[in-house]
Amino acid sequence: MKASLSRRDFLQAGVLTLLGTAGAAVIHRASGEAQAPPVHQMDHGDSAMAMAVGEVDHTKNGFNPTDIVADFDYGKASTLENGQTLREYNIYTINKDIEVVPGIVYPAWTYNGRIPGPTIRCTEGDLIRIHFRNGSSHPHSMHFHGIHTAQMDGVPGTPGVINPGESFTYEFEAKPFGLHLYHCHAAPLARHIAKGLYGAFIIDPKEGRSTVDREFVMVMSGFDIDFDDENDFYAVNAIPFHYQLHPIQIKVGEKVRIYLVNILEFDLINSFHLHANFFHYYPTGTSLTPSEYTDIIMQTQAQRGILEFSYKYPGSYMFHAHNTEFAELGWTGNFEVVS
Amino acid sequence: MAERTVTANGRKHRNWSIGVLLVLPLVILSGVIVLFLTTGGGLELTSPSPVEALTIERVRLFPNKIEITARNVGPEDLTIAQVIINNAVWPYITSNGATIPRMRAATIYLDYHWSYGEAYAIRLFTSNGIPFDVTIPWAFETPELGAKTLLSFTLIGLYVGVIPVYLGLFWFPALRQLGRRWMIFLLAVTAGLLIFLGLDTLTEALEQAVAMPSPLQGNGLIGIGAIGTFLLLDVISKRQTTSGRSEASQRLSLAYMIAIGIGLHNLGEGLAIGAAYNVGEIALGAFLVVGFIIQNITEGLGIIAPVLRDRPGISHLALMGLIGGAPAIIGSWIGGFSPSPALAVLFLAIGAGAVFEVVYEIAKLIRKDAAYETAPMMVFSGIMTGMLILWITGLLIK
Repeated sequence: MKASLSRRDFLQAGVLTLLGTAGAAVIHRASGEAQAPPVHQMDHGDSAMAMAVGEVDHTKNGFNPTDIVADFDYGKASTLENGQTLREYNIYTINKDIEVVPGIVYPAWTYNGRIPGPTIRCTEGDLIRIHFRNGSSHPHSMHFHGIHTAQMDGVPGTPGVINPGESFTYEFEAKPFGLHLYHCHAAPLARHIAKGLYGAFIIDPKEGRSTVDREFVMVMSGFDIDFDDENDFYAVNAIPFHYQLHPIQIKVGEKVRIYLVNILEFDLINSFHLHANFFHYYPTGTSLTPSEYTDIIMQTQAQRGILEFSYKYPGSYMFHAHNTEFAELGWTGNFEVVS
Repeated sequence: MAERTVTANGRKHRNWSIGVLLVLPLVILSGVIVLFLTTGGGLELTSPSPVEALTIERVRLFPNKIEITARNVGPEDLTIAQVIINNAVWPYITSNGATIPRMRAATIYLDYHWSYGEAYAIRLFTSNGIPFDVTIPWAFETPELGAKTLLSFTLIGLYVGVIPVYLGLFWFPALRQLGRRWMIFLLAVTAGLLIFLGLDTLTEALEQAVAMPSPLQGNGLIGIGAIGTFLLLDVISKRQTTSGRSEASQRLSLAYMIAIGIGLHNLGEGLAIGAAYNVGEIALGAFLVVGFIIQNITEGLGIIAPVLRDRPGISHLALMGLIGGAPAIIGSWIGGFSPSPALAVLFLAIGAGAVFEVVYEIAKLIRKDAAYETAPMMVFSGIMTGMLILWITGLLIK
């Protein structure tokens, strides 16, 4: 802050010779309460915490994180002659202006008009057929984390990266079971991911996982609003502070499973911390035995894992990145545990 | 008789045609404007990117509160969407809704537990996702404006303006005894002082103009203020010379003009002091105040220099002292309660113009004086003395 200095540098910041006799009267630093500004009606300071002002227009955005958190897309299922289950999905990319933070519209690139894209869910061994169309103005692809042929990898040099207006069908057998993800792999990669082209990909084990009462999917990401290759806002399921504004409702004793994916661009790591509780963690979901019992896990980009827990006591419990900077820039939510 | 009528008619006719010829280009111009506004004249007139500019006018800190006043100096309305302080999205309230019309200012209020001595980086995001950064390098409570501050400003103005000027006037009885050559010397000293002050004021105006919102064209404003004042005072002084008043009365007028010039200069100084006090950039030491008194005492000396050989009444002296000194108080009030870089620049420019015009008047007075021919060195040494006095006393307060 370079404020004006007098012509004689009369006002030398740092000259701390205090005024003697005349001083007390001449320089008076007022104390006590500031006058209340005209339209100042915020909460008391003690409850002050990081929070965006206002709320995004979910209707205009075309999606709501409250729905996305429990939205699993099993596709159109049918049985093939050999008894194998075929799951077909229709996915398209489209440029879309999305109000990612209240008041700020971001020129996003999306799968099916939402961020994150649809959570594709199937069972190990299913035949996956994805009818992919590019309705955007850039070449795009779907690059799945999983086991498949090079032809189906969706990277430059393979048929899976398609131009605007074109379409392609990805087909592969779902394996291995676990929690995976998909994202665009067109170049430049970082920008294509950061603009919103990512989603979760869940392959359930044939024998299934243990029964739980609630299942949620959470995709951790951020938005670089001013395109300086640094994130300005962070969130799970795209919209900062959404689950702080609209806590996820669960009941005491309910078994909860979270499919947690990190696709955060530009920052090296992301994390998930659960308040007043511990969870079992299944890295990549590829084993049915948890590797850790903890209240915090760390993931780098594209790392993912499954969390299982239940709450003993009713109340409001935070969950957030324990990279606290991310937390205060939007990656914070609440579970509202009711008895 | 008939001839005169014809001439009058002819003149009337000519006036008419001159009028038409004068208006014609304006009519064509309006046609061009209408055409341009409706067709765009073949140019792509919509900007491909949003152009936004925001000037942070002041940041004030109160217990658990931060207030940021920002002015939209871009070509379009601007909407504040979110505020981030030290990497945390923070709730805020704006004074007149989130949208700031062009050239208007808005205040952003944050409830925030800031701590003394810490640094804060605040980022304002507009609805176009354009960030504007505000930094608080060292947080401390902003002095509040109230009766006590008003008193402080008044006292500062007294010390900086009124008292030194009056102290200078007290030399009057002694200096009257001087010979004419020494009076020339004193006039030259005054000119030297004023040249120094004028340069200083002009520099200050140019510096402050940088901080002004670009649509207000700070440097142009300096030209208007300085040149306009110079020429206006020149007109006033010429009218007095041609009105056939006595030389003594003209010298008294010059003394008044010096008082006005110094007064305007002190007004600009007061504005800067008040504004700096407002942003909390003021730290006065007793030493500094003493330095000010010593430096500004020369201003009083300058005022009386032209009238030393005359007998102006005590009321004239008192009035001139007031004109020269009191604007410092008024300036600090204006600067403190309603800081405006544009106003400060304008007043500083007016002050510079006035000061230089007075130097010009003094030069004329010296040239007219018979003693000048016999003492050219007096002028050189006087002007140098005047400038050196301010330079050396300036060392005390730099």
